[in-house]
Amino acid sequence: MPMKHADNWLVTSKDEKRGYIQPQLLHEFWFHTGTSCNLRCPFCLEGSKPGDDRLQFITLDDAIRFIDEAVALGVNKFSFTGGEPFVNPHFTEILDYALNFKPCLVLTNATEPLMNQFARVKEFNSKPHPLNFRISLDHPDPAKHDESRGKGNFKKALDTLGRLYHAGFGVSIARLMPAGENSIAVDRAYEPFFRQAGVPLDITIIKFPEFYKPGSLPEVPEITEDCMTRYLSESQRDGFMCNYSKMIVKQNGQCGVYACTLVDDDADYNLGNTLNQAITERVRLKHHRCYSCFAFGASCSEGGCEDAKEEGQASA
Amino acid sequence: MIVERFFMQTLKVRKIVHHTAELFELQLERGDIRFKPGNCLALCKDQVESRPYSISSGVTEELLRFLIRIIPHGEVSSWLAKRQPGDEVRASEPFGWFRPEQVKPEQDSVFIATGTGIAPFLSTLRSSPERPPLACLYGVSLAKEAFALEELESLANFQLAVSRDAAENHFHGRVTGLLTQLPLGPQIHYYLCGLDDMIDEVSEWLELHNIDYTQIHREVFFYADEAR
Repeated sequence: MPMKHADNWLVTSKDEKRGYIQPQLLHEFWFHTGTSCNLRCPFCLEGSKPGDDRLQFITLDDAIRFIDEAVALGVNKFSFTGGEPFVNPHFTEILDYALNFKPCLVLTNATEPLMNQFARVKEFNSKPHPLNFRISLDHPDPAKHDESRGKGNFKKALDTLGRLYHAGFGVSIARLMPAGENSIAVDRAYEPFFRQAGVPLDITIIKFPEFYKPGSLPEVPEITEDCMTRYLSESQRDGFMCNYSKMIVKQNGQCGVYACTLVDDDADYNLGNTLNQAITERVRLKHHRCYSCFAFGASCSEGGCEDAKEEGQASA
Repeated sequence: MIVERFFMQTLKVRKIVHHTAELFELQLERGDIRFKPGNCLALCKDQVESRPYSISSGVTEELLRFLIRIIPHGEVSSWLAKRQPGDEVRASEPFGWFRPEQVKPEQDSVFIATGTGIAPFLSTLRSSPERPPLACLYGVSLAKEAFALEELESLANFQLAVSRDAAENHFHGRVTGLLTQLPLGPQIHYYLCGLDDMIDEVSEWLELHNIDYTQIHREVFFYADEAR
């Protein structure tokens, strides 16, 4: 059944053909565990906070259907984001199931919800596939991090980062990327903290530009078909997350497959109720966050789809 | 096409019991809410402002009870304090990451709380009175601020610590002054709820006394520098 989209899905405000990505792979499959979070960060791109239900908790039954479908389609990894995944009461069961099939990545603030379940988390070391954590450390300055995330939360997150690494899990961090920063200098400013946590100094640092709150409509340039071929190479186009990943979210009691992790506030990007239905749907670059991918190469993924290509994964 | 939020429910205020000028118990009609001890509800002042509050009632009680401290300039707590019986309050579904009732049959628990941080422990005790903790330490600034004292005193190993006034029959000092009396062991899980300073201090003390990190469970309600 073809999806219904808003009138501006295919064309820009100037009536030019809107740029698009034609998905080729299902390399990575994301789960949005729900927008409830233990923190209330003013910059949160999901608008998450305690008890928030814009996106509801996915359950184990919800997840099993999609994990099985994604495995059948040749997915290489599962990733989980929120909200805070460990706030979802079903999350550890979901992770337990997913780790039977593929490596998993969890995006977390690494505070109480994870700390309180650390015993359960350690048990995942014996699962057939590896588990990696990406921990939010917004700035290499505890005071600036805590200004948004609450007092003491940099220390907790850093402490948990070290504990996870020493328990045998892969770790990386995510940080904010203010416009005009010296990225190399900012990355290097984390080194004393990595030393303090006892983690390698070269762990991956994922940087995110300003994404604005859900439902925001900041003015950004519109992306046309011409922009996509004039300014980007084929490999740059392949690097867009919507080329090789999808995300499941739960709204109004129903699970839907979305084009990527950043567009769940716009129902135009709900590509259907099954992966099979969603996987070949052409993704128009209409959302203001699509411009971040276009301009900065922003990606929630680690390593993009290069490893999938090297493995010669068949096109979906 | 922006997706709208849904799912908030409306609960009627049954009663507000003022405990001190800054502390009160909010009683809400329960509707069909089912929860676990340690769960919170986000209570909403309006479409924008909401705060999470731990349920202090037992899982089979007719009402939902919350222990609330009015925060200076706190938009939601002071709004809630002014509600009248019959007023409506919008609430989220129950949620939470602090589960004091979750110890396995072969394990024991210890509860340590300050202020309204006693709420999840009261919910646990009221829900499963047959499995009391090995010890429960409760710290308050003034003796009159202690909630449900008689109920807690019926526990075998309960101690109240009062830091700012000398109360008869109670320890005079911070709750951390009672730590040396705690039972320690690999089968005991330690649940800490309340002020961040207390939680940090107790966590460090427990780890120094060879309690594994995985046996320590935390829930921060208040920050010391905001309370000053």
